[in-house]
Amino acid sequence: MSDDALPLRTLWMSDMPVDEDEMTSAIAQVLEKDRVARAKDRRIRLFGVLAMALLIPSLVWFAAHGVTPLVRGAYALMAIGCAVLLAAEWAYLEWSRQALPGPADARSQLQTTAFMLARQIRLLETAPLWSSPVFIGVGLIALWLYQERTHSAAFALCAVTLTAWIAAGLRAASASAKLNGQRLQMERLLNELQ
Amino acid sequence: MEEYSMPMQRLSAIYAGRAADREDLFQDIFLAVWRALPAFRGDASTRTWLYRIAHNVALTWRARDRRRQVREGPLQDEIDAGAEMNLRRLALKRAVAAMPPGDRTLILLWLEGLSAAEIEDVTGIRAATVAVRLSRARKALQPNEVTP
Repeated sequence: MSDDALPLRTLWMSDMPVDEDEMTSAIAQVLEKDRVARAKDRRIRLFGVLAMALLIPSLVWFAAHGVTPLVRGAYALMAIGCAVLLAAEWAYLEWSRQALPGPADARSQLQTTAFMLARQIRLLETAPLWSSPVFIGVGLIALWLYQERTHSAAFALCAVTLTAWIAAGLRAASASAKLNGQRLQMERLLNELQ
Repeated sequence: MEEYSMPMQRLSAIYAGRAADREDLFQDIFLAVWRALPAFRGDASTRTWLYRIAHNVALTWRARDRRRQVREGPLQDEIDAGAEMNLRRLALKRAVAAMPPGDRTLILLWLEGLSAAEIEDVTGIRAATVAVRLSRARKALQPNEVTP
């Protein structure tokens, strides 16, 4: 490099050395952060496994033994919907994990992260569609209530289901917009690096 | 890791203006290194491997939160401590922090003593391109560096 390199680099590296206690405290905080992140990851996985083990078999059982074909169809849809939800959750977490910064070169890392973000965005954008079996299933139960039980209970269940569906769609859209901002920023960085 | 804690702290100071953010970023870098350690096979130099992770974390960290990009100017809270700090070093840090992200990444690595080939290894940008861009970035840096 040129002659001006030495004074600039000397100046750059003339910081005071790090305090040993400060370093030890930083290490302890990092290990704690790691422990908390792993515990959270374990909880999410445990929840997924429990849902798989309890919820889906119960829904399948109701789908097989429901009082009418309408109820059986409703529970079958809910079972399918739950399985799809779990698969989507698993894919989302997996893509988030793959987007974490690692030891690849900066360009490859930014490309990978932007690609994974694009996948997550697509998943979120289509959330109202792939979560529909659950809501349609509950809607069918509301229809059965309307036919066989009270109208008010049917209307209440329908209103709750619709609200939940709309809320889930809005939440996914908001999360998707946030991720899209990050993706655009990644692509800007990538362009600047090239 | 202790050997590289100073370079990582310098890098954190450039990407994060506020002391609390700097500490967060430093911890995130440390955490990413800690998690990547089991996969480190030693086929790259430890230095370039660490710089790759550190820069990836810093770039991602900044891109993930838009608020970080519009917060007060870089190194804002160090200005008060300027009397005790070497003003030229502070001016250099501020000039580097104010650079566009692409040039900033290259100049940071160069200031840490990495060669063009090592910078290629860290960033994925060809060494010849690195040399050209560094030359331009250094020219832009010189007048800022001498004027605190």
